Amino acid sequence: MTAVQLFVTCLIDSFFPQTGEAAVDILRRLGVRVEFPYEQTCCGQPTFNAGLRRDARAIAEHTIKVFEKTEGDIVTPSGSCAHMFRHNYPELFEGDSSWIPRAQALAARTYEFTEYLVDKLGVTDVGARWNGKLTYHPSCHTLRGIKVDRQPRALLSNVRGAILVELPHAEECCGFGGVMSVEHPELSAEWLKRKIRNFEETNAPTLVVTDAGCLMHIAGGLHRQKKTQRVMHIAEILNHK
Amino acid sequence: MSATSFRQRIRQSIEDENLQVALDNNAERRLKGRAAAFQSIRDLEERRQRARSIRADVIERLDQYLDQFIAKNKENGVIVHRAKDAHEAVQIVLDIAKSISNYQSSKLRVAKSKSMVSEEIELNHALEKAGIEVVETDLGEYIVQLRHERPSHLIAPAVHLKKEQVGELFHEKLGVPYTADIPTLTAVARKVLREVFLTADVGFSGVNFGVAETGGVCIVTNEGNARMVTTIPPVHIALMGMERLVPNLDDLSLMLSLLPRSATGQKLTVYTQLLHKPLVGKQRHLVLLDNGRARLRNSPLKESLYCIRCGACLNACPVFRELGGHAYIGGDLSIAPYPGPIGSVISPGLLGENYVQLAQASSLCGACKEVCPVDIDLPRLLTRVRAGQSPSADDQPSNAAGGAGLSSSTKLFLRLFARAASHPRLFALSQKFASLGTFLLAPRSDWARLPAFTGWGYSKDFPRFAAKTFRERYKDKLANQPPRQTLRQTESFKAVPPIDHSITLPLPEVQFAQELTALGGHVVFTHHPTRSVIEFLNLRGVKKICLEPHTLDENLLRQEGVEFTYEPDAQAVVGVTKARCGLADTGSILVAAGAGHPLEASLLPEVHIAVLKTADILPSLSDALPFVGDKSAAVFITGPSRTADIEMALTIGVHGPKEIYVFLVS
Repeated sequence: MTAVQLFVTCLIDSFFPQTGEAAVDILRRLGVRVEFPYEQTCCGQPTFNAGLRRDARAIAEHTIKVFEKTEGDIVTPSGSCAHMFRHNYPELFEGDSSWIPRAQALAARTYEFTEYLVDKLGVTDVGARWNGKLTYHPSCHTLRGIKVDRQPRALLSNVRGAILVELPHAEECCGFGGVMSVEHPELSAEWLKRKIRNFEETNAPTLVVTDAGCLMHIAGGLHRQKKTQRVMHIAEILNHK
Repeated sequence: MSATSFRQRIRQSIEDENLQVALDNNAERRLKGRAAAFQSIRDLEERRQRARSIRADVIERLDQYLDQFIAKNKENGVIVHRAKDAHEAVQIVLDIAKSISNYQSSKLRVAKSKSMVSEEIELNHALEKAGIEVVETDLGEYIVQLRHERPSHLIAPAVHLKKEQVGELFHEKLGVPYTADIPTLTAVARKVLREVFLTADVGFSGVNFGVAETGGVCIVTNEGNARMVTTIPPVHIALMGMERLVPNLDDLSLMLSLLPRSATGQKLTVYTQLLHKPLVGKQRHLVLLDNGRARLRNSPLKESLYCIRCGACLNACPVFRELGGHAYIGGDLSIAPYPGPIGSVISPGLLGENYVQLAQASSLCGACKEVCPVDIDLPRLLTRVRAGQSPSADDQPSNAAGGAGLSSSTKLFLRLFARAASHPRLFALSQKFASLGTFLLAPRSDWARLPAFTGWGYSKDFPRFAAKTFRERYKDKLANQPPRQTLRQTESFKAVPPIDHSITLPLPEVQFAQELTALGGHVVFTHHPTRSVIEFLNLRGVKKICLEPHTLDENLLRQEGVEFTYEPDAQAVVGVTKARCGLADTGSILVAAGAGHPLEASLLPEVHIAVLKTADILPSLSDALPFVGDKSAAVFITGPSRTADIEMALTIGVHGPKEIYVFLVS
């Protein structure tokens, strides 16, 4: 079986390495060979979303070259980076006949982590255990960008011992939005307040996300407000015994 | 500087508690209403995609459709004008006004129904400067006009105001006693504006759709003011963005199944008018506006021209929910004519650089795209505006380097980041430095408290970089680990069984009655409509009615002492017309121009009675539209006149009839 290439994302690489390890662990437990191309950096999303396309393109070209040296599916524990590969790379190279096929080839190989487990491997139970209540925040780019929602929910529903509580207004953005959270902090703060309020309403101590961007945003807000609740990436929940 | 002012405006909006309550209400109720209305449509996604491809085709072949539309209108006796820009459009309207005989002798009065395009060209201001009185007649627009404000929402202009504020405004400007009772306030507006409709020299309206094949101009309103301005004054001017076309009546019917559901959660707007020819003895002008649309069409923002102005993206947008329409400001502090996600694309798209900063105020969460009835990829268009791809007047990309509207510090940071991210060694090195940096900032915690000016520090703490990055940890311990066991194929979860849609529908007349009754209309089943009408009139003590010819047994009316007139009569309390057909799925009736004045008889009186044969009840709008293609003017009426312009409270009887009775004859 060909190996799976892990695109770990710059946020997980830099801030939450344990999330990346959990993803590797789960995949290997399921018999998947995992490789990690060391030259990878970032998908370029911050620059693309800010409108700095020339800069985004430099990063995208780099990323494409790195993964062209490998074979097999690319798995990334981030809905927004998967969205970047799938929808924004083709946009970035539009009209460039030499790069478009290369961008499309990359997009065709790319899966978000839970999507890969459920749709590609056909696994909805990874044998995880958790004690207590969990609530799920569907990240915007996972839910609406690449339309992945039933997959993480199916995986969570099979976590033994976990009590899943629905997050009120779950589909609302947490206010991260990449550069928006620094360019328009006032807006970002309002949504964050609302997201935390809704989270608290569930009485669950743990919020599950599929994207490290939402994670650092919501967790950062909780820490600022001196709350004790946690935000965890789904890979870590699914790797918990 | 301008970005700072924009942020100040955002802060003002957020701190305005009244506004926040109103906007939360708007978001929650509108979205709920929308979702409920779409439950009656089974093939929503298919319809959306069809609607999208229709709009795409129109924009692709716009010139061809415009030629067809204009030729048809000329044939229909409509005077067609084309305006290259705002200035030309204003001049055309002024010239029409000046050609009216009493322009010199007295102050000309224009009764205006809601038109976002007129906001775009700042028409009111120009007309007032020329000494012409302009009165907005949509309740919400009237309120914001009295306050000298711009509308704050595409379809709910006064969404930012509380009823108490409206009460004070009416007390101050109209001299009525203060009240915060919404029906009373609405009644005040009805009375004041009725006078305006009856005395206006010109009626002015926007256009929702133009139908290329028939030349039809479709205008939808709930209050009935667009019916007034197109029916009562001697001259009607319709101003239309030149992209607002559909090829034919089938396409119109599809659009009308999406527009009101998306906008207000209604299956059909109360008054859906289709105008072809000018009314007898009256004049109709059609002004087609470019004002940057041709340019936009040849730009990467082309898709924004598919928009049908339903406002759903505003209701779904978390940015709009904090800002309201008045905080979307340009570099020159002017309020953008179009707010919300679509506004952050078309305001810079049509009006240029001044408004590009709006596009940065978005998390690209995609809620707008999801509710868009024509599936416009708004997040993508926003990133294109940010990339400097909005067209400017001299056809040069406005900001070739990109990062339009971005602060210079963020831009610099991202540039440096991009350099590092395209060079893996530099990237790894930067990670080390950043890690060291956050360790110095927060030696004893996983979180660093950054100052508010950094943006991030405004409301959240920043995670400390990991001591060892994933790549290092992977190299150390994971790189050579093999898979631990073979693939365990577990049972994939069960698919949800498809919903059974094979519900048997009730008889058409029963469905019709159910729908109309749900809207506050009344249905009377009768074998003898004239007798039933006479009974009704006796009960109400009404002696005189406006009547459409050949509707009731006129001899019997005379015998029973009921006076009737075919002429429009502003004093009549009851108007009786035929319903050419009924629509089972929406409870609508069709009233069409013909002998007498049925359009006025179904509009001016407080009570409208329509006589409908059960055999004339059709399943839905698409079945009925083919019959109106040749009518000079027709209106589908769906319930009594209504508004929700003050605090979203549903209030019946604004400009049109307060009561509608359908006498159903089997």
